Amino acid sequence: MAIINQANRELQVKIVYYGPAMGGKTTNLVQVHDHVQTAQGNKGKLVSLATSSDRTLFFDFLPIEAMAIKGFKTKFQLYTVPGQVIYNTTRQLVLRGVDGIVFVADSRYDKMPENVESFQNLQDNLKSLKLDLDDIPYVLQYNKRDLPDVAPVEYMDFLLNNREVQVPAFTACANKCEGVFESLNMITRMLLHKFVNQSQPQYA
Amino acid sequence: MATLPQLVEEDILAIEATLRTLLKQSEAATALIADKGGFLIAHQGNAADYDLTSIAALASGAFMASQSIAGMIAETNFTSAYQQGESFSLFIQEVDEFCLLLVIFPASVGVGTVKYYASAAAPRVARQMQTAQARDPSAGLDLSVLNCAETSGFFKRRA
Repeated sequence: MAIINQANRELQVKIVYYGPAMGGKTTNLVQVHDHVQTAQGNKGKLVSLATSSDRTLFFDFLPIEAMAIKGFKTKFQLYTVPGQVIYNTTRQLVLRGVDGIVFVADSRYDKMPENVESFQNLQDNLKSLKLDLDDIPYVLQYNKRDLPDVAPVEYMDFLLNNREVQVPAFTACANKCEGVFESLNMITRMLLHKFVNQSQPQYA
Repeated sequence: MATLPQLVEEDILAIEATLRTLLKQSEAATALIADKGGFLIAHQGNAADYDLTSIAALASGAFMASQSIAGMIAETNFTSAYQQGESFSLFIQEVDEFCLLLVIFPASVGVGTVKYYASAAAPRVARQMQTAQARDPSAGLDLSVLNCAETSGFFKRRA
């Protein structure tokens, strides 16, 4: 849950990029880090705890401040999780205190079982933290659309977005920075609207 | 999942005063309070030399990972961690269910000293958090001044 510091009018929000291994989660953070337009000092260092083969070992971390939000200093902390199945304990740790999720799916047909397994794993891990995916803003990103043998968006929606009210889904080629900012801006919008709605007075 | 209460100026001032006392007593360089999810809540001391935002995120992750390992080897009493360095070291003390106290100190200062004073400071921070919680535990978020509908994009791509 976001940290609200009324003393210095500061809001800190945690967004986690989740998804199967080698799906492009870290690439999303690298592209945001490399291309985001910020006021000086509003973008922190990209911290990456990776193995020698560039696979995320613990998490990647990028602190950043949005320019267009007034009233509160709004700091975003972007995290990725390691996608490999064996690192589940680490994924649970990174999900602690999560406010919003970008689920990065691999669009190739042969990766669909991994996408579905990872999505189920996300729901299970949230349950272990006494959280419910229905209560947390999230968006889907169908990445790697530039590769051959990708599944149609409708099929990925059927697998990952099969619910009464669908969540926003974006096609992306993260390595070309396509769909990266669209996903980030949408999850930001959903998060902030949730906070603002929660802050409205409740009348019986 | 339970979460930290909203913090008002009184809370931050009290926590910062506790951290200042800790630094003075222990001769440590920097002290900070971080949420276990990785957020930096408050800090005192020499902040210019360090990227405290990243330190809070990494130290929280490291502490939580070590605590998980402790649980796996049936060790239930895991409340602090120590990273020894040649020039500067780091001591992490669990404050309560939600947050951690991090102390960065020169190698010339003994870890025992830091641990002694950190053990006294942590309950004071915890009490202030309880005070904040008791102020209005059901309080909603006061974000009425937040203007998030101003532009089409919060994060803009550099041209």
